[in-house]
Amino acid sequence: MKEKSGTHVVEYSVLLILTFIIGLLFYYFRYNHGVLIFLSGVLSFAYILWGLVHHYFEGRLTRFIAAEYIVFGVLIFLLLYTVLNF
Amino acid sequence: MSVLTGRKKSNIVKDWRQRPKSIEKFQFVHHFLPHPEDKKRATLLSNKAIIVYCAAMLLIAGIFRFLPKVVPGVLGYASDISVKDLLTYTNMKRKEAGFSELRLNSSLTSAAYQKAEDMFKDQYWAHISPAGTEPWDFILGQNYDYIYAGENLAKNFKNSKDVVEAWMKSSSHRENLLSPNYDEIGFAVVNGVMEGYETTLVVQFFGRPRNAAQVASVYEEQTVLEKESARTAAVSEREGEPATEGTSESVQKSVYTQAPSEEPVIDLTTATKTVSAVFGGFVGTLLALDVWYSRRKGLHKFTGHTVAHLGILILVVASIWFVLTPGIVL
Repeated sequence: MKEKSGTHVVEYSVLLILTFIIGLLFYYFRYNHGVLIFLSGVLSFAYILWGLVHHYFEGRLTRFIAAEYIVFGVLIFLLLYTVLNF
Repeated sequence: MSVLTGRKKSNIVKDWRQRPKSIEKFQFVHHFLPHPEDKKRATLLSNKAIIVYCAAMLLIAGIFRFLPKVVPGVLGYASDISVKDLLTYTNMKRKEAGFSELRLNSSLTSAAYQKAEDMFKDQYWAHISPAGTEPWDFILGQNYDYIYAGENLAKNFKNSKDVVEAWMKSSSHRENLLSPNYDEIGFAVVNGVMEGYETTLVVQFFGRPRNAAQVASVYEEQTVLEKESARTAAVSEREGEPATEGTSESVQKSVYTQAPSEEPVIDLTTATKTVSAVFGGFVGTLLALDVWYSRRKGLHKFTGHTVAHLGILILVVASIWFVLTPGIVL
């Protein structure tokens, strides 16, 4: 149980660092919509990948959970794209 | 007491079996809260529901693209940009970098206005017009004989500070803005309709006159700024008047009067940010409810991590509201 909790901390830390870096890049390139759309795609893809890897290591990766991360990744991208496209 | 409760319970169950519809109203709550029996999230957080939200957002984005073609000028970018502020911020950046301040020149200002009006008239957004007119043609057209000249363009920005900041963030525009080769500057801030969207174009021309004695004086700069104020006031008064055709004045007038007012009916930036915040906020609220309810009831669902979804969604919605700004530079 302790080992599982430790793995959780590592995996959540990876997600936290990832979102922090992308958040900083968002701020740095805030006037460049082309780069921001690319970063939105990277964030979306990275989140899907994180979800799949995390659940695979947990031994809980199912088609339903994979689909859930994919639709959430798409939702994240579309939330940003709706603003950046105009 | 327990016997009474048990009897009461059996009566309720009997009633539910006889009239299954009577419990449906209690099931409604699971549109918003997790299903304890199925160990699933709320119905409105199911994968199908998220796909519906994605489709709805695509549909709204499609409407925002299609609407300007049918009703030009309704959607657009509200702005509060002035030549005076652009000059102040530009010179502030130059001063910070250790360069001399630029003087506002009337010929460069006129050339910038002609360029902006040409872009609205021929509906293009480029340094070189579809007819092949280059920025230097506008400058030379005002009899400004130069050794060095440069052009920066911007559109869809909300305020003068953001315009200058965006130019500073782009290496080629910053090179122009901080170049020691220029002595003078000219700005045009023109409202109009571009590809159906009400917007503000900003043209910035730089120059160094061949004859150093021709560099604009403080008096000329003041005159240009006063003219700018008068022009802004005249445009505000002129809006709403019917356009006439034939003269160059009428070309300028028709550009302004394509849209009924300087401000669009719907500010596109606010509209798109609101759409994202509504969908993101709704899904985020349901996820927060999911975390709270699951912890309270000790539910372990066969789903992905709700806290991770919630965290990433908060980051995205916060970025949309506090980081993303409208505007493109060229």
